[in-house]
Order: sequence, then structure tokens, then C-alpha cells
Amino acid sequence: MDKSKKRRLIYRIAAFVVILLIAAAMFIIGRGHTVYFDNKMPENVGTEVSVPYKIEVIVADKTVAKLKSGERGMADTMGQNFKMQLLVTKEKGGDAARLQVGLKLPYNMDGIIINLPALLAGLDENAYLSEFVYVPSAEEMKEEEVVTDDTDGQMNFEG
Amino acid sequence: MKNKSIGDYLRRFSVPLMFVIICLICAPISGLSPNYLINEIVTRIGRNAFLILSLLIPIMAGMGLNFSMTLGAMAGEIGLILVSDWQIVGIPGMILAMIVSIPISTLLGLFCGKVLNMAKGREMITSYIISFFINGIYQLVVLYLMGPVIPIVHSTIKLPRGYGIRNTVSLLSMRQHLDNLIPLNIMGVKIPVATFIVIFLLCLVIIWFRKTKLGQDMRAVGQDMDVSRDAGIDVERTRIISMILSTVFAGIGMIIYLQNMGNIATYSSHSQIGMFCIAALLVGGASVDKASIGNVFLGIILFHTMFIVAPKAGTVITGDSMIGEYFRVFVSYAVITVALIMYETNKRKNKSKAGMQLALDQEQEEANG
Repeated sequence: MDKSKKRRLIYRIAAFVVILLIAAAMFIIGRGHTVYFDNKMPENVGTEVSVPYKIEVIVADKTVAKLKSGERGMADTMGQNFKMQLLVTKEKGGDAARLQVGLKLPYNMDGIIINLPALLAGLDENAYLSEFVYVPSAEEMKEEEVVTDDTDGQMNFEG
Repeated sequence: MKNKSIGDYLRRFSVPLMFVIICLICAPISGLSPNYLINEIVTRIGRNAFLILSLLIPIMAGMGLNFSMTLGAMAGEIGLILVSDWQIVGIPGMILAMIVSIPISTLLGLFCGKVLNMAKGREMITSYIISFFINGIYQLVVLYLMGPVIPIVHSTIKLPRGYGIRNTVSLLSMRQHLDNLIPLNIMGVKIPVATFIVIFLLCLVIIWFRKTKLGQDMRAVGQDMDVSRDAGIDVERTRIISMILSTVFAGIGMIIYLQNMGNIATYSSHSQIGMFCIAALLVGGASVDKASIGNVFLGIILFHTMFIVAPKAGTVITGDSMIGEYFRVFVSYAVITVALIMYETNKRKNKSKAGMQLALDQEQEEANG
């Protein structure tokens, strides 16, 4: 193989590797998650934790949820490093405490439930983080007729 | 440029002029505010320009209007469907969809180029039929192979029967992410700066490409294949490369188009895209054998202004918005038909002119000899 052909081959391989690396980076940084915030008593953790009167969740300087006891909110996020600010009001009429929280989200979960009282109580990750399993509604599971042709039905000349 | 009368110019720019007149008549009748109109046109420039620019390279190579740009559009859609299922969102999702679409577009462009090399002189009709043929394969892949062979996990994308893709796939997770990446609002007009930068880069690439050896080869092949072959240019290879480039750009253009729309109509998004892009380019004053970047932008502005105002004007005049809808569809097809007729007429005229010149030269030679 002459020199110019060899150089061309090297450039092509290098370009291919760069594209693969970009694709891999996009897979990691672009992974989307829906994070659900629960302000309720965590289940099956074995210990009692106190549920605050109100928690305000701020993600990327935007208030995404204002949760009273027993409520759930949600936010869409990208990547595995999730940062949020929590404004926690323990009792009605009380002052709100501001907390900065950073979490590592599991890559394989689309929907993630974060139980805020369990997180604030400093419990183990298994206690405050669980997977949200999406259950399609009956409407969504109805059979859908696929329309693949603009002339659908127009070529039917029988009556 | 020399010895051209006003009549020649009027003939050359008859289509854009006709559209300027239609727009000038319909715009005030429609009652749409200038602000709304400008907003819509700016949005549509961002949405369509990349797709239409992808048509320029085959025209340069003398392959006419690339009706098979639909192939690239299908590759772009496949990229987006897969990325949506992998839950890669935002700009990274778009980039990944482009990376996925490029090899598919390349293969389809290669196939199309090879077929068109076998059908020289009949490229446009062949590419039009190829797009129907590949649409069948696309439907096979998307309707039957996605699910059992190509893993699709999410029930929001997959048909309830367990395989195949739903009629509509939501792109909410990347909707207008590129358009809103660099936000700019001038007097109530939203400017998609990042999208415009991407389009501008493609314009620069096209301008640069024309000056490269390959670009010059393409122009030479576009002018005369036999002379190019005699000059040592690999005509077939050059034509295939032009098809590959066009298909790849069309795939990327489709991703930009769909991120603006916010959803994919899985089985119909691509089917009309080629027709409307070609119509827009022709409205901008391009012809089957000559097109420029200016034609692209003028075409989008005129064609889409008509698209926006015609239904409203139709409603005001007749009380039925469908009249305007029919009108714009009729005009799209009519423009393409007129362009094809004009191309054939000019070709025949030039041929007969060349024949007459040859006869004259021979007569003169005989008289002298």
C-alpha cells in the first residue's frame, strides 16, 4: 500500500473512531429521565420518618413542584447527575430551609421516584430511590389502525 | 449575461414573479398580521432550508431534481425513532439520530446512485419511483422488523400488538431544542439562531465544495458527461458521490425539520417532503439544471408565504378554507410540472439550435471548399 493510501485509511479510521466516541458521549450525556418527587411516608423501610408540611423543588432555577404532604411532582432531566434545590417547610407557618441536593441517577431507569422525606432523613439509596414503572392506559393499549398509504381506500372501486 | 432582453429575464423569473404577485394579493386578504407572517416565515426557513439545500448537489452534477431525497428523510426518521426509544433527549438526541441516520443514508444514496447510473437521462422519474420502492422497504422495517428484530422497548412508540411503530411518535423531549438553543427575539419575532447557524454552515460547505476538485468534477459532469469522461473524470463515481451527499444532507435536514415539528408521522412525514422541497426550490427561480443558494431562500419565503396566506385568503373569499388548501397543493404540483416542461422545451430548443448551427457551418465549409 502506498503512503497516500495508507494516510487516507488512517484518516478514515480516525474519523470513524471520533464519530463512535461522539455517539458514546451522546448516549451518556443525553440520557433522559423523568424524576418523580414524593412527599409522603416511604414504604417498607422499617423506620418512621417525618413528612414535612411542604417541599418546593427547584431544578435549574425553575420551580418544578410545590408538594404538600402526600403529594407527588415530576421533572424531566438529562444525564445522570441530577441537582436540585429543596425548600423544606417542616410545619405550617414555619420557615423554609434551603437544601442543595445532588444525586446520581441510574442509567437504566426511565422513570425514577425519589422519596424526599427518606432522602432528607439520610436513609439508604434503596429507601429513597425506586423505579417508576409506566403502565399504559387502556386507551393507549387499544389496537391502532396503521395508515401507510395516502390513497388508502381510494383505489377500491367496488361500490 | 450579454444580449439578454427584458423578455428573457421575465421568462427566466416568471415563476418567482407569479408567486410574488399571488402573495401580494393574498396577504392583505388573509388578514394575518405582518408580525405573525414574519414569525411563521422565519420558523419555516429554519425548518426547511437544510432539506432544500440538500437538493443542490445533484443538480450541480446534472442529475436534476432529486426526488429520492425521501430516502434520506426515511433514514432520519429511523434515527429519530431509535433515539426516542433509547430515551436520548435534547440536542444529544438529535446528534445521535444524525449519527445513526448517516450510514443508512449513505447506503441508500449509494444504491440510488448506482441505479441512476443505469438510467442516465431519466434520473428524475427513476429517483421518483425509487422513493416509492424504498418506502415499501421502510414500511417493512418499521411495521414488522421494529420490535421482533430491532429492539423497541417503549409502549408509547410500539404498537399495542407488540411489533411495529405507532402512527405518531412524539418528539417532545427534543422539540425545538435546536431552535431555542440560542434564544433571540427581535420585535416579537422569534429567531432560531442555532438552526440558522447550522444552515449557514451548510451553505459555506456547499460554496467551498463547488471549488474543490470533486465539486469541479461534478459541474463538468453536469455540463457534459462524455467530455468529462474524455477528460479523465470518473463520471459514475462522481454521480454516486453526489447522490450520497444529497441523501445524507436530506437525512440531517429531516431531523432538523422534525425537531421543529415535535412529532413524527411515521408513515407519511417523508412521503410529501420531496415534492414540497422541490416545489419550493423551483418557486425560488431554480430550474432542473441550475440552482443556487439564493433560489433556496427566495423559494422558501415565497412558497411558504403562499402556504400560510392561501388557506386564510380562501376562507375570506369563499368561506371555505379547503379552497385555499386545494389551491396550494395544486400550485405545488403545477410548479413542478411547468419546470419540467420548460426544461424539456429548452433542451429541445438548444438541440435544434445546435443542429441548425452545425448545418450552417457545413454549408459554409462546402461553399468555401
